[in-house]
Amino acid sequence: MTRLILLLTGGILLATTSLAETSRGFKKLLDAVVRIDVREFAYEAGSKRFQSGVGSGVIVSDDGLILTNAHVVGLRAVDINVTLANLERVSAELVGWDHWTDLALLRLDQAELAEKGHDFAVARFGDSDDLAPGETVYAVGTPHGLTRTVTRGIISNPRRFFADSRGVKGYETGQFNTWLQTDAAINPGNSGGPLVTSDGRIVGINSRGYSGADNLGFAIPSSTARRVMAGLAADGAIQRSYIGIVPGALRDLEDFYDLELNTGMLINSVDPGSPAAEAGIRGGDILLKIDHSRVDGRFPEQLPPIKNRIAVSPVGTSLTLRIKRGDTTTDFDVTTEELVSRVGDESVVEVWGLSIREVSRPFARENQLPDDDGVLVIGVQRGFPAAVAGLSSGDVITKINGTPIASLNDVLAEAEHYQKSPDKVLLEARRKFRVSLYVLKP
Amino acid sequence: MKLSYLKIVSLFIAALSSVHVTVAATTSEMLAERLASVVVVEFAIEHELDRTVNYTNGIVIDNDGTVILESSAISDRATPEQLVDFKIYRPGSPITQYASADYLGQDGYTTWHFVKVRPEGRGGLRPITDFAAADPAAVPAMGENLWGIGLRQKDEEFAPYYLSSKLSLFQRLPQLTGIALGSIAGRGCPIFNEAGEFVGVGASGFGQRMMIYSQRRRGEMSVLLNPDEAAGFRLAAEIFPAMGRIPDNPYGRPLPWFGIDGLDPVGPEVAEFLGLGSTTGLVISELMSGSPAEQGGLLPRDIIIALDGVPFPRLKPDTVVAAHLMREVLKREPGETMTLTVLRDKIELELPIALGDAPKTPKEADRNYFEELGITVRETVFSDVVARREDPANLVGVIAHFIKPSSPAGTAGLRVDDWVKEIDGVAVESYDQALELFAEAEASGRPEVVMLVSRGGETSVMRVKVDG
Repeated sequence: MTRLILLLTGGILLATTSLAETSRGFKKLLDAVVRIDVREFAYEAGSKRFQSGVGSGVIVSDDGLILTNAHVVGLRAVDINVTLANLERVSAELVGWDHWTDLALLRLDQAELAEKGHDFAVARFGDSDDLAPGETVYAVGTPHGLTRTVTRGIISNPRRFFADSRGVKGYETGQFNTWLQTDAAINPGNSGGPLVTSDGRIVGINSRGYSGADNLGFAIPSSTARRVMAGLAADGAIQRSYIGIVPGALRDLEDFYDLELNTGMLINSVDPGSPAAEAGIRGGDILLKIDHSRVDGRFPEQLPPIKNRIAVSPVGTSLTLRIKRGDTTTDFDVTTEELVSRVGDESVVEVWGLSIREVSRPFARENQLPDDDGVLVIGVQRGFPAAVAGLSSGDVITKINGTPIASLNDVLAEAEHYQKSPDKVLLEARRKFRVSLYVLKP
Repeated sequence: MKLSYLKIVSLFIAALSSVHVTVAATTSEMLAERLASVVVVEFAIEHELDRTVNYTNGIVIDNDGTVILESSAISDRATPEQLVDFKIYRPGSPITQYASADYLGQDGYTTWHFVKVRPEGRGGLRPITDFAAADPAAVPAMGENLWGIGLRQKDEEFAPYYLSSKLSLFQRLPQLTGIALGSIAGRGCPIFNEAGEFVGVGASGFGQRMMIYSQRRRGEMSVLLNPDEAAGFRLAAEIFPAMGRIPDNPYGRPLPWFGIDGLDPVGPEVAEFLGLGSTTGLVISELMSGSPAEQGGLLPRDIIIALDGVPFPRLKPDTVVAAHLMREVLKREPGETMTLTVLRDKIELELPIALGDAPKTPKEADRNYFEELGITVRETVFSDVVARREDPANLVGVIAHFIKPSSPAGTAGLRVDDWVKEIDGVAVESYDQALELFAEAEASGRPEVVMLVSRGGETSVMRVKVDG
């Protein structure tokens, strides 16, 4: 009796796994997955420091384009080393980066490839829109540095929406796409590797797991990845439009707003000073149409595609938003602006032990600053003039020796002046809403 | 908990007995006599769902049964209307014997609370002024032996006990404050010199920095404060002159108003850089719109360096200087003029500022609890709008003051301090209008109330489902 059950279990396992094991597509996919070792610099704690990390990626074109996560390879990558399926190493360069979808595109060094005569396979995409819950999928990558690890699971939810997606290292992520949720084991290092069907087609790029939870992994759907990849290959970045509305799900509020089901999207908030605010749109308004096409934002899962619809319009486009407010319906023309991140450009003044970042419009808005002037302190080095004077992360420098500071360059210019003739420097900064003065001493 | 408490009690008894050996009998007599100036004040704070009972120590200041309490004795969030059932216990007397008392209010300058014992309970009380030194302005000398009274908890009938120490340090914080070598009196209890003359009131611990070794964060510095006994105390020299400031209304009005948001003291390095010599300055962060400071011509980023021609003293730590200026303001009456010297672009300017009458405070704001929704809303006041970075000329909407857990409002995601701007699609222009809208919604039997709520500068539509 016992023996029979064991046999039977073995038989079932064989039946379910045989598909991927014997699939030619799956074998080819395995040859397209790479390990990525990155060394990048960071402006942390008032100095320029190097840090290294390991992630995964997948080769998606004959000319060696590799798709990975934006949080695996960033804009400050110095060395990118790719380990091919045959365990040979080739260097690569960053082609494009998009933190909004957590995707980055690399290209293998063509000359090095030719010189060494290395071979690689190219993976093919599947359609993530066709995925059904329960469908078997495989994650391939480098969890915790363990090269060429395959794990198996199912699609737990093909359209997961994250209510709060503050992203990686402060960069916004996930506002314009939903995620594939899978129970295939995804660990640190799996990032950037593909999530594939049993015939080896890419349906997602593995990106994150819930820490402290079991088997809750998330991948960027291939439908998003393909679109972003095309943009990154062409331009190196994705330009998006911004109008400044914060959407909310309309769920259960149709009665209150006197709407038919599956009609319209709630505007929870409008960013002050944004194009939508300038046009007169307010929190509590209902968005019915964008340029004459209907909007349905009943459920949270429906919101990212609506945001994406606005985002993909070319910057500077005039969109006609049909808005319902109380009993009246009005068309508002809104001209889009370029979407920017809350994380601005960064730099460091090593002589002061001061890491700084440009104050972006979203940062100023989120922190209720009067404008986006000034430069944000993101780190100070112990024992250096900035730290000794009392500056700390979160301060916004507004003046140096009486000169208003609007950008990184203003600070760098003052620092250069200081380096030539070191003398006491009077610095004005705002911490939250409080203005303080500091003296930096040589 | 209980076990460790017992341990502390037994340790304490051991300490007490060793003290008894060294203390002269006269001290014990003096303590018994001076206990007539010390009372324990019990009061309740009535909340929406329950009431909390509080105990604090007080000192009798006159023959009319007036008692002063430290500002921290009563929570800032509690309004005078919420403060009820004031009872006065005598240390060491049976707790079944107590007198009733009434809350008089809080003084803006000293921040003391004042309570009045009802006539029938005043027998046996003596004002602390009976024990004043010949020169009430005298301050004790560094190293002088001082002693004070501590009180046990209610289960021990607030039994008095003796504490003693030496004066270690004087500071202006900006209140004239003494710091003893160790615990010298219960919080709010009096301190005397060897002659039995009143020298101060126990205020707080000294905030000694201690190391806490824990498994998780080794060696992190923490400040340990003794909640029952004080090493720091306010000196009698400053207490006597302020005893006459008994408020005639619970809010301590009239309250003078200046209207500056964020006064940052310049550090010694900056003071030197600015050429302030041995004095210091205060940087103005922001001015409240329509305030006396703004009308008087002050600008953000001006550096205030003197008040009525007197440069600011270099009080330590630097942050005390800002409190010093605010105390100087609160000492005055609305309508009085004070002249500030400010440094603007390296030029000194003299600006006379006519103090105004402080706008309504959150404490004074009207409020109402809506049982069915589980929310208390209160009138929006000036400081609410300033804190939310909007124009205080528009006191619109209402502020969520209390949200009952798991109530319809709580379940909908409303939080304390949310700013309700619209109710059922109607913009809320005033507190009275909000009351009407809520009452109407509650009476209508509608299954939901929809609110537009502002939090952290972002608005959100919230649907409050009413229990059917």
